[in-house]
Amino acid sequence: MIDLFPLYLTLKVSFVATFFSIIIGLCLAWLMARREFYGKGVLDALIMQPLVIPPTVLGYYLLVLLGRASPLGRFLEDTLGITLVFTWKAAVVAAFVASLPLFVRPARAAIEGVDKNLENAARLLGKTEWDVLKTITIPLAWRGIAAGSIIAFARATGEFGATLMVAGNIPGITQTIPIAIYDAVQMGNTNLANILVGIITLFSFSVIYFVNRFTKGRY
Amino acid sequence: MSLSFQLKKHFRDFSIDMGFSIEENMAVLFGPSGAGKSLLLNLISGIIKPDKGFVRIEEREVFNSETGINVPIRDRKIGYLFQDYALFPHMTVFENIAYGINSLPKNKIKTKVEELLDLMRLGGLEHRFPKELSGGQKQRAALARTLAAEPRILLLDEPFSALDYQVREKLRADLLLIHQKYPITTFFVTHDLEEAFVMGDNIAIINNGRLEQFGAREDVFYKPKTKNVAKFLGARNIFSGRVVSLNGATAVIKNPELGEIKASIRHDEEHLEVDDNITFGIRPEEIMIIRPDKPIDKKVQDNLLEGEVLTTLGKGASHTIYFKIQDRDATFKIEIPNFAYRKLKLSKGKTITVSLKKESIWIIPEKQVKV
Repeated sequence: MIDLFPLYLTLKVSFVATFFSIIIGLCLAWLMARREFYGKGVLDALIMQPLVIPPTVLGYYLLVLLGRASPLGRFLEDTLGITLVFTWKAAVVAAFVASLPLFVRPARAAIEGVDKNLENAARLLGKTEWDVLKTITIPLAWRGIAAGSIIAFARATGEFGATLMVAGNIPGITQTIPIAIYDAVQMGNTNLANILVGIITLFSFSVIYFVNRFTKGRY
Repeated sequence: MSLSFQLKKHFRDFSIDMGFSIEENMAVLFGPSGAGKSLLLNLISGIIKPDKGFVRIEEREVFNSETGINVPIRDRKIGYLFQDYALFPHMTVFENIAYGINSLPKNKIKTKVEELLDLMRLGGLEHRFPKELSGGQKQRAALARTLAAEPRILLLDEPFSALDYQVREKLRADLLLIHQKYPITTFFVTHDLEEAFVMGDNIAIINNGRLEQFGAREDVFYKPKTKNVAKFLGARNIFSGRVVSLNGATAVIKNPELGEIKASIRHDEEHLEVDDNITFGIRPEEIMIIRPDKPIDKKVQDNLLEGEVLTTLGKGASHTIYFKIQDRDATFKIEIPNFAYRKLKLSKGKTITVSLKKESIWIIPEKQVKV
């Protein structure tokens, strides 16, 4: 029997990371699509960084930022009692940062695709900004948002480099499927590697297939 | 009910700077494409923030750059019918109409929506989505949605421009009827001359972000204050000239092509003086073609011009005739009803005599002509 822990951990980490990606990503996507502000270009470039910098570099940044040596790490540990580095939570942070741009991009495009006059029409009919977002913008952009969520989730399940740097490779604690695959190959356990690779491949293929089917517009 | 505003807004290569007030029930805003009509509605409704000025709806200020008042769009109670209707594509007709009814119990919302569906002849379509409606139905659904929110003023942005001619005429009549039932101060935007004439007792004419003229329909049509207004309103026969003499209520104008033309002076043109350079003209439908078989009526004995019919164009209920004065370059556009056209047996090349009734000639002193 193979150890199912990496599968369980991967799903848990990915769900939590995607949850944060959607919440924070929606705010960012909306800001990017609908507001003009100072430093917008810088923020945009910053969010998109994980797409282009090497995952190990990303992992290193996170390690430094969240470790005890940084003010943020110390604040989290001393004041809130949260230790992140080399726990499953660090894997969540790594997966979140890596998947965020993949959510923001389609979500932003989807929000930009909503006719501004529809939002204005809603405002003219007496609705608050929150009402407009809830009843007009998100319902009309939901395909893009859903597609972004699925792609973000898939990216989270495949996160390797940054996770290894910041959460490490601790079997039964921080070992996700991608890390378990690496581990299995290192150990010469080809059988296990094949099974895990099969799971990931099937999953990744289905994600893209369904996202493509799904995003064919209706309106 | 009233709307008054004075607004300034600069864009990179365009600016708006105008103001007036509407006390009437229905006023028309007329201007060519790109004159700033939709922008003006956006500034009034708060979709775009003006740089300077104020907007007042029924004595209540909703925007004032001096005092910093800027009421959010949602609290202005402005009904705005977008050119493309902006119906919510993910909601049914019923949901669209009910959307703007805030704070009413469910059964009352239903009654109200059903009333509007009835009024707009949309009965039976309440469960359709906007894409399943015809252009005219969409337009009526959008109007119903706007009225459901009980606005204090209504802004209609070229509401019929996307529709066929027949549908348009029917809907214009509909709108006038609905307006009688819901007498809300309405600001109707159009670039269609006929529509402007049919819809409004009062017409504001704008061009290039500025107000050219605002007044009663007849004044604006038959007594344009600027050359632009005359041009936009289809007064194609525009000439320049010089006042050579003033004789009581009649001015004699000299133009090298037309010779001497007599024009009646209206009360507000009394400041006209001899030697003033002016622009003058006459609407195509005000030119009389003299019937050769009848003695010339006293009313039309002034300004007789002889010339040749260049072309004739039939269009619906009337004929357009291009007329060239003998041995001169000056041409006139004349519009006559079809029965008159048949009676006069007009055809290309025929020599005719026309009269420019002196009461129908409008005069714009040159110093007032804006470039």
